[in-house]
Amino acid sequence: MRNKILIGLLLTVMSGTVSAQDLTMPALQGYKKVLSYPVFGPDKLWNFINGAADTYLAYGFIDLHVAEYRKGKNVIKLEIYRHSDNTMAFGIYSTERSPSFRFINIGAQGYEVDGTINFFKGNYYVKIRTYSKSEKTIQSAKSLSQIVANMLKGETKMPEALSMFPETGKKVNEETYINESVLGHKFLNKAYKATYEIGSDNFSIFILENKTSGEATETVNAYLKATGMDPMGSGSGKYMLTDGYNGTIFLAWKDNQVVIISGLSKDQSEIADQYTSDIIK
Amino acid sequence: MKNVNRRAFLRTGITGAAGIVALSPSLVSAVSEPQQNFITRTLGRTGMNVPVISFGVMRADNPNLCKAAYEKGIKLFDTANGYQNGNNEIMLGNLLKDYPRNSFYLATKVKPAGVDSDGKPSDLTTAGDFLAKFNTSLTRLKMDYVDILYIHDIRNPEMFEYKPIIDTVKKLKKDGKVKFIGFSTHANEPVVIDAAAGLNIFDVILTSYNFKQTYVNEMNSAIKKASQAGIGIVAMKTMAGGGFLDKEKTKPINSTAALKWVLSNTDVATTIPGMTDFDQLDLNMKLLSDISISDAEKKDLILACAETGLYCTGCTKCLQLCSKKLPVPDLMRAYMYAYGYSNTRMAYSLLGELGTNDNPCKDCNVCQVNCTKNFNIREKISDISRLINVPADFLA
Repeated sequence: MRNKILIGLLLTVMSGTVSAQDLTMPALQGYKKVLSYPVFGPDKLWNFINGAADTYLAYGFIDLHVAEYRKGKNVIKLEIYRHSDNTMAFGIYSTERSPSFRFINIGAQGYEVDGTINFFKGNYYVKIRTYSKSEKTIQSAKSLSQIVANMLKGETKMPEALSMFPETGKKVNEETYINESVLGHKFLNKAYKATYEIGSDNFSIFILENKTSGEATETVNAYLKATGMDPMGSGSGKYMLTDGYNGTIFLAWKDNQVVIISGLSKDQSEIADQYTSDIIK
Repeated sequence: MKNVNRRAFLRTGITGAAGIVALSPSLVSAVSEPQQNFITRTLGRTGMNVPVISFGVMRADNPNLCKAAYEKGIKLFDTANGYQNGNNEIMLGNLLKDYPRNSFYLATKVKPAGVDSDGKPSDLTTAGDFLAKFNTSLTRLKMDYVDILYIHDIRNPEMFEYKPIIDTVKKLKKDGKVKFIGFSTHANEPVVIDAAAGLNIFDVILTSYNFKQTYVNEMNSAIKKASQAGIGIVAMKTMAGGGFLDKEKTKPINSTAALKWVLSNTDVATTIPGMTDFDQLDLNMKLLSDISISDAEKKDLILACAETGLYCTGCTKCLQLCSKKLPVPDLMRAYMYAYGYSNTRMAYSLLGELGTNDNPCKDCNVCQVNCTKNFNIREKISDISRLINVPADFLA
């Protein structure tokens, strides 16, 4: 009976999709480690990063561990955000990334800017910050970032889906992952986005992740329905839509892949076709 | 399967476009002329007349959503130096530069560096850092001034006496780079708001305020005092910090009712709900013509208040009440890992770290813990503690 209860509990609560361990913040030579902050769960994240918390919550935020490293007046702050999976960690990292930052070889990807080192690895998003202008302290922050990167388990590569984006005209380090409400529509979710510049044309390509072709068909039909068009059967297709909020939209799908292009005008369907054909083979 | 080539694309494309126009779908006519009969309120001494719904831009990544809000009649847009590491301000700046500067209000926030978890400043809390961040915000926003600059996250009245920051915001206002100055608060709010009401520094306060706050009487009193002192009140966190009330995520908060509850306090001038999709925008726009709460909505809020939710607030009051000196907040966290995230591995790992047994409450006939969130502590601890007996291999 006892086993039944336990297994019942187990079946009730486990999804089996995530495996993680509680974190021990590392030591940093020459610095005193101060753990004055609690572990922040979703309900308390507002207390630490205020209104920015909502974005983290939208990307499967699980918890945040914070440590400070003190040496005299110099302080280095370490924040380790744990998200539900690698894609979500990339997603939140990508919302805060700018192509103007100086990118460094750490984790899956990372950068330095104004005393800050941010990177992601596996399902972790790591932020290290010092306000000190001391070169020694800045070097210590860099050392800490390597220690943390080595400590955390997880993949050190960018999401494979990004390789589907055609290279021609693609802006470097502007790819993002949008978990909810792509283009502001509730029925469009879980998309990788890349931005393009070709001559004076600027546009965005979204590749929506779908587990099955049926799911892809549902997504496409939701968009068609919202724009007053008849739903399509399963399979494939290409459409040009006029979305009252987002302007001209090129929509293509095949099997479980859905590609949306926004930012091109109606007379640029050839460009849209070229790019969608490169993605959907 | 249909052959997808360029010709097919063009043909279906033209057909598709024609179909849209013929049917006049909702998305095509989505952006309409703004109504003129919106419910507006004056934001304290600023004199800004704003619709009761403003736009918390923090999560929005689609400029077309902000554009639609502007065109539908939203006037006040709220961002912060830190949102999306500055990308939020950049997005908003690129959009608003094309509109007449006097056709909208823009509020941003700058967080002073080095403020500790109790809200006290340190040596790192400098005017130089604050000013540099503000100037960066102005550059990102492509503006000469912002309408409201909030000192981000004040939770301790000591900050009001901290001259490096207070003098800096006063000077920015004097120099015209800021029209009005304020602060945001979402911890220790009644104390902070009450203290600010007695000062002649701030024009606006942005505060968390919702129907689930356990200290709502103190909030109402402080807000009243500040409002009477001429300070404009803007409400945030109106959804009580989350969209759902239960661990199964089957009970969404009635967001319309929650906003109406906030606006039933006439000392609140406007709210800044975060919006990420056009449906939310349309739903919130309806409030601009009707903020009366129906009986059904009142009932929803009463039921929502009765729900204890899933998350422990970490108030730690239970630590003194538990006769077994159990780490109750940590055990509640384990419960949240298991039921909130469906992550038994993390719950198991935490239980192992805590070193509690499989039934730590078994020796107590009556639980002495009176949880501020009305959690049935004993039931939750008994439930989650059993997990420690599950072989680790089962959790991989």
